[in-house]
Amino acid sequence: MPATTDPPALTAPELRELYRLMAATRALDTAAVAWQRQGAIPGFAPQLGQEAAQVGSGFVVDRRRDFAFPTYRELGVARAMGVDMVGYMATHKALWHGGLYDPAQSRFAPVQAVVAGSVLHAVGWAHGQTLAGHDGVALSYFGDGASSQGDVHEAMNFAGVLRAPVVFFVQNNGWAISVPTERQVAGGSVAARAAGYGIVSERVDGNDVVAVVEATRRAFAQARSGGGPVLIEAMTYRRGPHSTSDDPGRYRSLEDERRDAGTDPLERLAQQLLRTGAADQAFLEEARSAAAADAEQVRTKLAALGPRPGREMFEFVYQEPTGALKSQAAAWRVESEHV
Amino acid sequence: MAELSFPLPDLGEGLIEATVLEWLVEPGEQVERNQPLVEVETTKSAVELPSPQAGKVLRTYGVPGAKVSVGEPLIVFEVADDAAGIVGTVPRDEAPKRRVRLTAVPDED
Amino acid sequence: MSETTIAAPGRTGADPEPAAPRQLSMQQALNLALADILATDPAAVVLGEDVGTLGGVFRVTDGLQGRFGAARVFDTPLAESGILGMSVGLAMAGFHPLPEVQFDGFAYPAVNQIVCQIGRMNYRSRGTLPMPITLRVPSFGGIRAPEHHGESLEALFAHVPGLKVVSPSTPEEAYHLLRYAAARPDPVIFMEPKSRYWQKGEVSTGRRGADGDLGSRVARPGKHVTLIAWGAMVARCLQVAELAAEDGIEVEVLDLRWLKPLDAEGLAASVRRTRRAVVVHEAPLTSGLGAEVAALVTERCFDTLRAPVERVTGFDVPYPSGDLEDEYIPNIDRILFGIQRVLEYRRG
Repeated sequence: MPATTDPPALTAPELRELYRLMAATRALDTAAVAWQRQGAIPGFAPQLGQEAAQVGSGFVVDRRRDFAFPTYRELGVARAMGVDMVGYMATHKALWHGGLYDPAQSRFAPVQAVVAGSVLHAVGWAHGQTLAGHDGVALSYFGDGASSQGDVHEAMNFAGVLRAPVVFFVQNNGWAISVPTERQVAGGSVAARAAGYGIVSERVDGNDVVAVVEATRRAFAQARSGGGPVLIEAMTYRRGPHSTSDDPGRYRSLEDERRDAGTDPLERLAQQLLRTGAADQAFLEEARSAAAADAEQVRTKLAALGPRPGREMFEFVYQEPTGALKSQAAAWRVESEHV
Repeated sequence: MAELSFPLPDLGEGLIEATVLEWLVEPGEQVERNQPLVEVETTKSAVELPSPQAGKVLRTYGVPGAKVSVGEPLIVFEVADDAAGIVGTVPRDEAPKRRVRLTAVPDED
Repeated sequence: MSETTIAAPGRTGADPEPAAPRQLSMQQALNLALADILATDPAAVVLGEDVGTLGGVFRVTDGLQGRFGAARVFDTPLAESGILGMSVGLAMAGFHPLPEVQFDGFAYPAVNQIVCQIGRMNYRSRGTLPMPITLRVPSFGGIRAPEHHGESLEALFAHVPGLKVVSPSTPEEAYHLLRYAAARPDPVIFMEPKSRYWQKGEVSTGRRGADGDLGSRVARPGKHVTLIAWGAMVARCLQVAELAAEDGIEVEVLDLRWLKPLDAEGLAASVRRTRRAVVVHEAPLTSGLGAEVAALVTERCFDTLRAPVERVTGFDVPYPSGDLEDEYIPNIDRILFGIQRVLEYRRG
């Protein structure tokens, strides 16, 4: 466990905000699956069931000084960090691979499709904070499947050696497409591996948003104060398919899902709010309807985004484009520009 | 110029040290490869160590009677800066050699 | 990021006063270039295996850690993907990383980061996260080194969108091209011809400007045939030109320097003068950069060419061990044969 003192408990307004964010994430995530079924977007990788892990960790990021490095399944993190959701969903509409939000200004790196591709980037960015004398913390997301990639081991080793201010946030959602964690992670625990790199780690109930926020806050406090990297393994469950083109029925049954998924993290927080008096039923209903309206608004704006002009293919390859690329762009304009 | 240190090698199988008997070269001296450098005694035998390379001797370690551990510096040479990196050799710029002669006459139209 | 003080985009350090030209080896010229980069660009950092205390296995970074500190010149764990992936993050944080991969063959473990991340981050982020990374790779063969220490990766990297590739042939070129590359906002693969590290040449400091640093360079003018080369092959082609002159053939040697972007206009201008072209490289023949050079020359000079473009290259074999190196790398006779073929060629 990190050696820092426990941060103060979450306040009622914070808990309500977490519920609003999780409800908004759930609504948008569910809507996006429907949009794919309606032909509005070609594909989507839902995070259904991971709202507590994603919102709880993203909630801790300080956008003035920290930076998050997502995969392609971090809708809840993006929502919690205030990323422009139309720009975020643009990647799933196949408008631009990295999304159309501004990653530098959002402090949320471009959507990353290479499994484990961005984990080393987080370490490099974090070490940059050390070199520059800043107190920013990098938040690196990856899953149980990505933990098999060599880059994750290199990243953890580099971070351990450099004592880089990075928090590795592992969402162990039980499944890497069709392969369950027990056939993915030797030894059964990604968190256990951290010890080998001299990295403090903890496993948390990833469906308990309060536990996730508290663990992430502890980790950030340690990393920010020069205590070195921290790994959090949030145990959660991918309630949906890997993506809209996946068929979980080929590798797990509905009975398996009911047994393994545990309590819905959103429902769990709702019950906690009611039980502690932090919110009432009216608040929950208001949050859910705001979330639905939010999703509808994203849909409207996303639909309004037309196809990207073909010239953009050429515009961002280099800061200083080559002559060959300019002449290819010129030939394209003459021969096949159609927008 | 650069310095190159030569550590005491394991002169037997699993020896850990040797005793310097007599230095056959001294600092400042230019030595050739294979020139005897020093006589040392191990628990197995007394042997003369040939120089692993040519160069000027900068420093020697261990007066006669002193023990030197395997892997510790025995002698330091001064070598030219153009010594190779950790692997490979420095290619020499040799006079170009040819067998082929050009016989074609280019048309000058 | 804009608030990153150490990584402010402006170069606050003053460039050293241009010194009188001096004789330096390429290794010394590169060392000087790195020192001048670190002195003038506060965002520059040097990282890699053994680049710190040891000064690099070829001593190219010798003394830099002592002069600029272990924060700006630092040893990393032994993992090439880690070095390049970390460089991406440093660039995102506003730094100008100068990573070193110890030998060409060890760039392969980093190809995923180089191709999928470094080459694409500017594109993926729509220009908001540029990758001003200059990756130094001791390259090509000729030093009788072990396996994986003599590879020629230019075609691989030149094929990757988003990267630029350059290879110097002399100490002067090494100094200026490295300084130019390090000042670019785009990633550059800098291929150092390791067999030329120790050859000396005159090096002028003081910047020569983009006009001097871009495109190809006529290393020797001639009128009968153009030899096109880069890296260590330029020196060999100059030797060939000297020998050919004994036979009355005036060879022009074109040092391409930039392998991406290729200087199509410089190539065409030379071949229009000589009407014959032989491209020489150490890399294997098939799908080597010579094929691209031949295509560019043919597209631009079809009417003036007196013979098909010849390629004199390494063979389609794994880079051989030291004993066979001289059989593999284009030698003087093979290049002379290539010249003979384009001189003899007659249409129809």
